[in-house]
Amino acid sequence: MSVLGNKKSKASSEVPTSSMADIAFLLLIFFLVTTTFPKDKGLAIVLPEPGEEAQVSQKNILHLLIQSSGVVVVKRGESQQEQQMRPQEIEGLWRQEVTSNPNLIAAVKTDPDAPYKFMVDVLDALHSANAERISLQVLEN
Amino acid sequence: MSIKGGGFEKSSKASSEIPSSSMADIAFLLLIFFMVTTVFQRDRDRPIEWAEAESAQKIDEKQKNILNIWMEREGGVYINDQPHTMEQATTVVAPLYAASERALVISVRGDREVPYRYMDQLQTALVNAGVVRVVFATQLEQSMQRERR
Repeated sequence: MSVLGNKKSKASSEVPTSSMADIAFLLLIFFLVTTTFPKDKGLAIVLPEPGEEAQVSQKNILHLLIQSSGVVVVKRGESQQEQQMRPQEIEGLWRQEVTSNPNLIAAVKTDPDAPYKFMVDVLDALHSANAERISLQVLEN
Repeated sequence: MSIKGGGFEKSSKASSEIPSSSMADIAFLLLIFFMVTTVFQRDRDRPIEWAEAESAQKIDEKQKNILNIWMEREGGVYINDQPHTMEQATTVVAPLYAASERALVISVRGDREVPYRYMDQLQTALVNAGVVRVVFATQLEQSMQRERR
């Protein structure tokens, strides 16, 4: 009847060390793979070379005049007709305009007192519409 | 007199197995070494509020070829963590640009509320320095946020 009392536990009291290397290497490789270095994001533009001034026909220019209130006034080439827009609407406008005139250039003219974010909003919209020919200027009154 | 097997049968006492008991120590040592030596290169952050853009793309250039120019709300210009005036920007950037063999990308980090006149002055300074590639650094805007504005 004392069989149960005599039975010794077969479980080892030591931590198994043979798989420790595997665990450590697994951790090592996991951290190596998941470590990412943060990269900046932004809207890339290409500035003109100093002294380089291109003459562009007025009919190939789409004027986007950013007012200090954030309203964008759109003027097409030579016509004096003005149209007020929100920056978010520029993307659709550009897609329409560029299909009728592939040589179109966006002339973004910002009011000197306008916050930078409005210019970024318009630039963002133009980038979303895959516009590549963009000119950044200051709005002169 | 002849030795059996030409004397080659004497087995070496050295074990042919790689000792695996110290493998864990080596692995943990490597792990800790990489953890300690990994430095996340960061500039001191200037207190700016980022502009947001939806179509922002990652800057496709090596970290050492990116020059950060911070633009604070009141028009303060910081290049490489050093305060500069707008007039100095051309003279500071031009030699750095030449040293990088014209591969330098300028990352302009402007506060979203900075008046555009300062941005234009900075762009003029960069054009005078001969810089061609400029990125307006922004944070990625979520579509949901855009709907709400």
